[in-house]
Amino acid sequence: MSSALGELVVLDLTTAFWSSLGAALLGDFGARVIRVEKLPEARQQPGNGADEDPAVGWDYNAELAQRNKLSLALDLDEESGRAVLQDLIRKADVFITDWPFSKLENRGLDYASVSALKPDIIYAHGSGFGPKGPDRDLPALDELAAARTGMMPILPQPGQPPVYAGAGGMYTAVMLAFGVALALHHREETGEGQQVDASLFAGNIYGASLDVQAYLAMGGERFLRPVPRLDAGNPMSGVLYPSKDGPWVCLTMPDTDRWWPGLAQITGIDPDDTRFNSHEKRCEEHRLELIQVLEEAFRQRPASHWKAVLTERQLSADLIEEFDYPASDEQARCNGYILELDRPGVGRIKTLGFPISMSETPARLDRMAPCLGQHSAAILHEMLGYSEDRTAELVASGVIT
Amino acid sequence: MARALEGIRVIDLTVWFQGPVAAQHLADFGAEVIKVERPKTGDQGRGVRSIKALPVGDWNQYFLVINRNKKSLALDLKKPEGREIMYRLVEESDVFLSNLGLPLLESWELGYEKLSEVNPRLVYATNTGYGRLGGVHKPSFDMTVQALTGLMARLGEPDQPPIYLGMGSGDAYGGMMSALGIMLALHHRRRTGKGQWVDASLYGAQLFLTAPSLQAYLATGSERYSKQQPREAAPNPLWNTYSCKDKWIFLCLTNEDKNWLQLCQGLDDPELAKEPRFDSAEKRRQNARALIERLDEKLKQRDAAEWMERWKPLGIIASPICNLADLGSDPQAWENDYFVEAYCEEVQRQVQVRGLPIGLSKTPGVVNTLGPELGQDTELILADTLGYSWDQIGEFKAHGAIP
Repeated sequence: MSSALGELVVLDLTTAFWSSLGAALLGDFGARVIRVEKLPEARQQPGNGADEDPAVGWDYNAELAQRNKLSLALDLDEESGRAVLQDLIRKADVFITDWPFSKLENRGLDYASVSALKPDIIYAHGSGFGPKGPDRDLPALDELAAARTGMMPILPQPGQPPVYAGAGGMYTAVMLAFGVALALHHREETGEGQQVDASLFAGNIYGASLDVQAYLAMGGERFLRPVPRLDAGNPMSGVLYPSKDGPWVCLTMPDTDRWWPGLAQITGIDPDDTRFNSHEKRCEEHRLELIQVLEEAFRQRPASHWKAVLTERQLSADLIEEFDYPASDEQARCNGYILELDRPGVGRIKTLGFPISMSETPARLDRMAPCLGQHSAAILHEMLGYSEDRTAELVASGVIT
Repeated sequence: MARALEGIRVIDLTVWFQGPVAAQHLADFGAEVIKVERPKTGDQGRGVRSIKALPVGDWNQYFLVINRNKKSLALDLKKPEGREIMYRLVEESDVFLSNLGLPLLESWELGYEKLSEVNPRLVYATNTGYGRLGGVHKPSFDMTVQALTGLMARLGEPDQPPIYLGMGSGDAYGGMMSALGIMLALHHRRRTGKGQWVDASLYGAQLFLTAPSLQAYLATGSERYSKQQPREAAPNPLWNTYSCKDKWIFLCLTNEDKNWLQLCQGLDDPELAKEPRFDSAEKRRQNARALIERLDEKLKQRDAAEWMERWKPLGIIASPICNLADLGSDPQAWENDYFVEAYCEEVQRQVQVRGLPIGLSKTPGVVNTLGPELGQDTELILADTLGYSWDQIGEFKAHGAIP
């Protein structure tokens, strides 16, 4: 089967999990992603996961964020190392990096310098806070961006510490890949390359789209403090109710007219109860009363009961599950969202798969994450046409590994 | 200025959030997006009346922002004439996008097989709830699917209710995935002339949204990743949230001696630096609870801004934990066009909207118009794009295929 990005050459100079994942999304769909790892630092950092558990025997973060990539380890402090990178840039379609702006400028790897070597290159940059503004040089840490986005204080219940969800980088990873794909489309049409920017701040804001937009349009204190669970805006949507034995039931029925008869029936409420027999009554006049009634009703039966009746009636509600659920869920497996495979030296492992399904050009796992410099010599030989002597010299002087 | 997706036509048969926002990304970058809606009521998103028990106000920002830069075509797809128009539109389009259920699309004869027969170059994109395969078609609103991923169960303090990431947080992610998938398929089509079926499901997207912890869980099976973890026991006390006198702060320092000494200096607490139970990374990890307690006491003594001021010259990495009001006036968000102003016809004034999270230096996105009125472009699309005569258009009206 063919791949969507078959001929694309991507130079990946990323250091963080989220930005590496952005480049991996291109590799998953067939791009030739060359991970340029900067010596000597790269020797000290096996993978780039924050806190791998060495006991499991494989670097699971790298196995996700660096899959399908080739590795070239290069000393960019040496003139000959920089020359190799420049040769590579001349052959590349995409340059993707999360280095700070100042470091890129100092090393002649900013857009102006890179596009001088390869005018139609697509230069994708992931930052903490975007290319403009007073905070463009703050570190690219998702925690800092999440703290600025305004959601952390309102995610938990009142009186609880703010919650860091850790998802901002995941939005930004896809934004980077999407930005590259847009720029690629434009380049195919016109021959023109350009700079693509995505930031963790933008990713966090985008992830919080509806809350942020509602605040921009409506304002109001209600958006600044947590809304107690039992004061939910719609008793039937976005609310959690505890079951008898603990697990939570989550309802998402924004269009209450549609779902009310079914919900009333399973919770033993008279669907024609005059307190609740219209959307306005349920969501305005008797909102708090309905929440109390549902709270009481869900406490009467265990989670297994609710799972069974919700499934049987195809209601828009489910139980709050833990990771063991998707880890063993047939639906996640058969759609390739979670892969199970043999890893040499470790055995059977599970790893996150591919969130986008394409019928003609599916994502695939061609190779596991590379070892540091695993493909250095091959890339120099095949892509750049360096002689064996020249490559050997670079190895001997420690410029490549 | 040139637009990245100039010349690409997208049929947007979507409702609520994930599908509309996917098409919004394409529209922002210049694709011609035709939103196809049922006559009379249109997309259910038009009916959103309140958010968090507050009335939405004089303009429906839920609908108007994610449907910006689009046209609207009102079409009754239950009628054969409505379908005839749709097939004609499919012939003239590059992308068909829908987040309606697959069984419903099939029942309207708008499945992949049918439409790719009508136009073999068509990129047929769906946002299913749980994936294209496997046969699960139960309802799939954002939070119910987030519930299944395990993402909610691990957030917050032990014994507290699970945490939802925010309204439409998973839809937003699925929408971006879908837009990426469509671009990949268009790229492939350029080379081969062939369209294909691209699906980005809400479930698949949300599993990826929690990749950092789910991947760790898949490898280790450890409850450290799947269950709620108390703030008071964070493994690295230097990387944690703390309550200052007025608001919370996020401190982000790796557990290294040099950072520790800087922090002690920043806290004006030379005694703390001398405490033997905290004088190495290992001890700070082992005595994390005690250290967090100690830092809690210390940080409560001043306002967040005061700490930030003191820490800045020392290079201590931290941020106050802001609220949405702080965000709304954050110059960083405005200068990067993450927020922009747009004219809202409904209220005849400029309003503030979520802007452009992705910057393209030569073909930037734009916000030209907010969401269309239901069916506002119906006749023009039929006449200009599809080449129907006014007589034919009159007949379609008589049959109720269009309003």
